[in-house]
Parts: sequence; structure tokens; C-alpha cells
Amino acid sequence: MNQMDKPIANPLVVLREEFDDWAVLFNPDTADAVGTNPVGVAVWKLMDGKRSLAEILTKIKSSFDDTPDAAIKEISSFVDRLAENGFVGLELERK
Amino acid sequence: MPNELKDARAPAVPKIMRSPRSLTLEITARCNLRCRYCYFFNNPEMEYRDLSTSEWLKFFDELGALGVMNVTLAGGEPFIREDLPALIDGVVRNRMRFSLLSNGALITDEIAAIIARTGRCEYVQVSVDGASAAVHDSCRGKGSFEGAIRGIRTLQRHGINVGVRVTIHRSNVHDLENIAHFLLDELGLPNFGTNAAGYLGTCCVNADDLLLNMEERKVAMATLLRLTEHYKGRISANAGPLEEGRVWRTMEEARAQGKSAFSMGGHLTACGCPSNKISVRADGAIVPCNMLNHIELGRINRDPLEEVWKTSPALNQLRNRHTIPLSDFEHCAGCSYIPYCTGNCPGLAYSITGMVDHPSPDACLRRFLKEGGTLA
Repeated sequence: MNQMDKPIANPLVVLREEFDDWAVLFNPDTADAVGTNPVGVAVWKLMDGKRSLAEILTKIKSSFDDTPDAAIKEISSFVDRLAENGFVGLELERK
Repeated sequence: MPNELKDARAPAVPKIMRSPRSLTLEITARCNLRCRYCYFFNNPEMEYRDLSTSEWLKFFDELGALGVMNVTLAGGEPFIREDLPALIDGVVRNRMRFSLLSNGALITDEIAAIIARTGRCEYVQVSVDGASAAVHDSCRGKGSFEGAIRGIRTLQRHGINVGVRVTIHRSNVHDLENIAHFLLDELGLPNFGTNAAGYLGTCCVNADDLLLNMEERKVAMATLLRLTEHYKGRISANAGPLEEGRVWRTMEEARAQGKSAFSMGGHLTACGCPSNKISVRADGAIVPCNMLNHIELGRINRDPLEEVWKTSPALNQLRNRHTIPLSDFEHCAGCSYIPYCTGNCPGLAYSITGMVDHPSPDACLRRFLKEGGTLA
């Protein structure tokens, strides 16, 4: 996914916060489920189709102390994986 | 045993999720059949009445808000509800998947098409207890075999996953090979599950006619173990003779070789359901499980499910059952299988002994062997 893309969480997907801030993302149409940590939960909640991926990463950096560059790469690939599996889409340009 | 030693051996306390992942909902107290071993009927604690469509739909909205993933719609017979399409729509709208437990007879093309269209149905379980009407109908009533098979074929035609469950009792224990051949070879099902009639509900008044005696239990165990090998794992079980045969063989092997205790062994660790599931009776009472439906934790649409789930003293007591050592029970005194035993189903333990915090005598390997049982 390009850094300027604006990811949007699939509204059908359920964010199930289970223990502390740990959660499961569950697609009821496919029964696919993805476990995620508190950072993943924060990313999920920011994917509203209005913020670019770069903006989301900046926001995460400022929200979590000492976010290493490696973690930022992991977040990007996490979002890519979600997109590949239909959990996340891209907001289309509106005319 | 000193307390600190007991505590060190006790399994770790599981964390409680914010809400249950799945629920079993008895959406109706009505049924078109009166099976002789039904766990559902003949429960004195139960009020046999149905909730309205709007009451269920309101509750489904609550489940959706809590992020519940699956519901199992049971009964009674769920297909008896004329508003089943509306209930299924409520489940789907709230982003859940679902399963149905049925006797098959009321499944029509129309409702099967509705279920298939949702794309959310995990499976419809249909009970089949024989390879012929003579065997199946002996406990379920005349015409029930024909209805079950018609229902299965309807579901298959619509591409719905069919999960057949065979309940083993005295009238079908010698028919297991025919049943396996019929279900797997003739009907072409990918697999089926088994259990056995247990001392629950209606079975309590027909126990002598239905519950397997020692010889029949041995036959069931040996036959199912042989069949599951022949059909390469296409026969499954979470309870009943097949599961007992597997578990007890493992326990006996561990005991004979002096192996260290199993991770779940030595305490009342069965079952783990209260950590991720909960149930609702047809009358709206929230209960830990359909087999423990005398423990009322609250009422739907009156008590918030999240609060019941997190704070119910009775539910938390059930969750802590796993800290009770089997060595505390007279029933288990001196038993060399304790390190490998979980005490088994609390529902069956309650039904037989009147105590939830007790091992189930029916699932006791030592008793089975003492009374003449053998492991294949």
C-alpha cells in the first residue's frame, strides 16, 4: 500500500477487544480472524478512509512511546496483509 | 496436602474475555418430535415458553455490539419457528455467523435457500441415529428417519454444510457399521460426529431402555475405534464411547509408563466452555451451558450480558472449578488415574450426583474397568 493511500476498515469486520487491549478482527462473511496487539487496534481505529497511511503512522508514533522504525515497517505490512485479505480497502477518489 | 502445594499444582487461572465469543441460544421450547432421550425436555427448572421475535432481535443487537462471533440456534426444534428467517436476518445484520441444531424434518427448500444466501451458516446439524427407519425411529418416533434424510438432502442441494450427529443408545449400538456406511458412503457426507445418550432430561425416565450397559459400551467403543480407523478420521466425538475410548487409552498408557501429570489433569478442569461461551434458555434465562440450565445467571434484555459475563458469582465459581483437586473427592480416593483425569462434564456430574463441583461418575475410567470394562 502506498503511503498516501487512505485505507478504510471494512465496516463488516468486527473488532473484538478481548483481553486488555488485545483484539481479534473477524470477518463474518469469510470466518477469517486475525489477532492483533494494542498498536494494531489503534491502527484499525484510525483507518477511516480520511487519513493516509503516512498520517496514521505519524499518529501512532506520537501515541506510543519509543516506536522503533522496525515497528513502523511492521505496521505497514500489517495493513498490507489486512488489505490482501479483504479486511481493509482504499477510499476511492470522490468526483 | 499443604495448601501451597495444592496451589502450585493447580492450573493457572484463565483470564476472562470481555464478552463471550459464542452463544448457544435455545430459540424455542417447541419440538415436532419427542425423542426418548432428549436432554431438553423434562427439566424441572425450565419454563417451556418461547420469546417473541422482537425479544430475540433486541438481544441479537446486544450481541452484535459486544462483538460476539457465532451463535448456535437450538431448541427444541429451531425450524419450528415461523419467524426463523427474521431471526437469521437479525443474526446476519449483527455481523455474526450461525449454526443450527435440528432433527431435519422441518427443513424446506425455502428456508434452506434463505440460509444458503446468507453465506454465514457454519453448519446445520441433523440428528441421525440409524441407517434405517426401524432403528432411527425407535427412539425418535415414526417418520422421523424419513424427515431427517429429506432434510439432509435439502441442505446438500443448497450447498449448506451438514453436520450429522449420531447419539448412541441400546437400540442402535449394534448398527454402527451400517450407520457409518450409510452416512459416509451412501449420503456422501464428509464426516459425522457421535456421542451417547446421557442421564439428562427425558433420558432420566427411560434410562434402563436407553443407556448403554457395560457390554454395549465396550462394543460401541471397539466398533467406533475400528470404524474411525477404516474411515480415516471421518468420525469424530467430543463425548461418548469414541472419545472415551481415545482418552482412556491415553490415560492408561500414561499411568502404565509412570508419565508425569497431564497439563489438565488432577483437577476439575473440564470443561473450558465458561471461558468463551454462554447459553440462553428458550425462556430467556442466561445459563452457563444448556447442560447446566438450572444455574440462572440473569435474563436477556433485562441484565446486560457483558455484566453477567464478567461479574456473575455463579459463572466465576464455575470458572474456578478447575482449582478443585480430584484428590478432594471420596469418589477418586486412591485412584492412580488422577494425574491424567479432568473429572469430565460438569453437566453430567450434576445430573448424576446433584453436584456441579464433582467429577462425573459416568466418565470414570477406574469405575469402568472395575465393572468389567476393557480398553481395546
